[in-house]
Amino acid sequence: MPKILPTVIKNLFRRPFTVKYPKVRREVPEGYRGKPVINREKCIRCWMCIRACPDRAISINKETRTPMIWLGRCTYCGECAEACPTRAIRMTREYEFLDQYVR
Amino acid sequence: MTFIIPVGPQHPSLKEPEFFRFEVKGEEVVDVDIRLGYAHRGIEEALARRNYQHGVYLAERICGICNVVHSTTYCQTVEQLAGVDPPERAKYIRAIIMELERIHSHMLWLGVAAHQMGFDTLFMLAWRDREHVLDLRELISGGRIHSATNTVGGVRRDIKQEQIPKIIERLRIVEGRARAYVDLWKSDRTIMARCSNVGVLRKDDALKFSAVGPVARASGVNADVRRDDTYGAYGDLSFSIPVERAGDVWARGMVRLMEIIESVGIIRQALERMPSGPVRHPFDLKIPPNEAVERTEAPRGELLYYARSNGTEMPERVRIRTPTYGTFASLRPMFCGATIAEIPVVLWSIDPCFGCNDRVTLVNSDTGEVRVVTLGELGRRRK
Amino acid sequence: MIDVAWFLAAVLVFPGLLFSSLVGLLYLGVDRKVTGRLQNRIGPPVWQEFIDFGKLMGKEDITPAPAQSSLFTAAPLLALGASVAAVLLIPVGSAQPALSTTADLIILIYLLNLPAVFLMLGGYASGSPFGTSGAIRYIVQLMGYELVFILAIAAFAARTGTLQLAGIVEYQARHGWLLFDWRIIPAAAAMFMAVQGKILRVPFDIPEAESEIVHGPLTEYSGPKLAIWRLSYGIETVAVAGLVASVLFGGPTPYTVGGLVLPPVLDFIIKTFLIVMLTTLIRNIMARLRIDQSLKFYWTLPTLLAALSLVLGMVVP
Repeated sequence: MPKILPTVIKNLFRRPFTVKYPKVRREVPEGYRGKPVINREKCIRCWMCIRACPDRAISINKETRTPMIWLGRCTYCGECAEACPTRAIRMTREYEFLDQYVR
Repeated sequence: MTFIIPVGPQHPSLKEPEFFRFEVKGEEVVDVDIRLGYAHRGIEEALARRNYQHGVYLAERICGICNVVHSTTYCQTVEQLAGVDPPERAKYIRAIIMELERIHSHMLWLGVAAHQMGFDTLFMLAWRDREHVLDLRELISGGRIHSATNTVGGVRRDIKQEQIPKIIERLRIVEGRARAYVDLWKSDRTIMARCSNVGVLRKDDALKFSAVGPVARASGVNADVRRDDTYGAYGDLSFSIPVERAGDVWARGMVRLMEIIESVGIIRQALERMPSGPVRHPFDLKIPPNEAVERTEAPRGELLYYARSNGTEMPERVRIRTPTYGTFASLRPMFCGATIAEIPVVLWSIDPCFGCNDRVTLVNSDTGEVRVVTLGELGRRRK
Repeated sequence: MIDVAWFLAAVLVFPGLLFSSLVGLLYLGVDRKVTGRLQNRIGPPVWQEFIDFGKLMGKEDITPAPAQSSLFTAAPLLALGASVAAVLLIPVGSAQPALSTTADLIILIYLLNLPAVFLMLGGYASGSPFGTSGAIRYIVQLMGYELVFILAIAAFAARTGTLQLAGIVEYQARHGWLLFDWRIIPAAAAMFMAVQGKILRVPFDIPEAESEIVHGPLTEYSGPKLAIWRLSYGIETVAVAGLVASVLFGGPTPYTVGGLVLPPVLDFIIKTFLIVMLTTLIRNIMARLRIDQSLKFYWTLPTLLAALSLVLGMVVP
């Protein structure tokens, strides 16, 4: 008698482990490194974020002279958020987005 | 009359592209030829063009499954170059995340091994339980796969006190499931029919072809870098190394399952004994000329990093010897007399991580001649 | 005139193409859903096979260049025809099947073999090493389970004294289900093992082993041809389950529940559904065997069981 049989029969009566995404969404914990956002008021234009980024994903937005993150290159590591002295860049918990740039 | 079965570069049994050219006669494998290098990305060259801090993120992306151990070894090598010792608490946190990675890697291995055998139920159940480990990594470090916690000089994030009960609870679940899988592995007759006496690697072959990690330990070679050449916090933690003698696929599975249970024990010890203090020391990225070698125990075996600095912020040269590079050569004796049905099972039993391998095929650009590195060059004598 | 119309209705509607394809694809869909639940996940909806069929029919019809295109195209259609012909011989709507001869069981054995033969031919004709490999494995495995299948059928025929399925159903109406006859129980167990191989389910789905030889004989098939293969697989499942239901579980019988007479086809559906669910359960708790292990298995235990039942059926009155 295969040992996995009781487990498998019990599974028939349990709630499934998977969820019907996107109707049901799992919550991510605090501290999850999702999409970064930039608060332009706080930026003091020190450009430490550009130096900190391992992928050269941050460039200067020509109109506002604040950082602009190209999400196609960003690895969501959070180095820019760590390097910013005024906490102008913050990592949020968002993981579903289609934006190309964060300005 | 033999005909060729191409396994790769795209094949359902390979998770990453490599080319194995099997010559079969009916159902029996007569010869196997390997062509590697499909995942070559020029990482060592790229590492020499980034400063040490950015190099951590590149090192992390060499492999998806064993990423923490790559970044940890890189950080340890650079710290050795600079002569900086990370704080004790950082070493413990690194050990915890590395052991979590070992658990997740072995559960991934178990699921895919079951799938190669046609046992889809075990595949789904093993990956379901792996989700608990991934949730823990997400809790501790902010990312399920790429944790990005390592940095030269320590770790970036601390484990908060309120996270510890959650970690303990999930570890309890994972340990219970791992014991159930050990039980299943020992008793299920179809698993034994597919895995016993399949892909046997004898102990002298394992030493001759320089197998590392669980592949070597399943053949009776009692070698583990965590114990033999201890690093980080492993000197203060006590754990045992599972070793099997049979050398077949079943033994390799057994070694990996027992390692999951050992890793849970290590994490519990580390959580208890973790000292308080800073998690990061300041680090000057300009390192005077120096050389350093570091070895760690990745989930797949012994991982080796060599680095050389030249006074600037970027390394002069980084050389990585990944564990799968070492175990490739031992595939030849394993396939002696095997059948087609055993190909995916044996291939997966060495837990190949082709993303980790950098280069094997050498091309002479003058003459255009392609030379495949021979078995003798891959092998390395080990006492 | 009426006979021809009745015959066409039997072939195309009930119990032929339309009914058995609906029921067959539904069973396959429920099998996937139940497999998902057994593995603690949600699983695809039960209509998934219909959706797949529709999607595949809408794709481009491709024949790979090295393939023998006439045989490559003909194989799925012939397999479909053979499966539908097999369903016609099985009692579905009543104790009398749509077509009946003196030696139903023997013709059924041949007819149920034909989809396998065409699968092999399709695999050989596809011109890829995976197809050839899958076809070779299919032949080897066929020698295993077919022996058991034939011996088990011979045991049932020896016990009931008739080779007609309608006759066996009538015998069970008088004497109770053959499943509970102590002489038949070994053959019943052997029959279930043979059925698991016949409808290509783990642990005997070696010819179509996905991780080893991509998809075996069906590797190069895509689009409408693959849809026809899936359809013929569904109908074959209904045919085999229907055969097992007729010889072991009494076939379609009208039951009266609280004054309401349930039509026999409902009984047929319930019985075949439970048989398919049993194969689903077995396929989810085991790993796949190697081809030599499967042959060795089939030629020892199930053969002995079926032979034992045959001897008992002939010798003990």
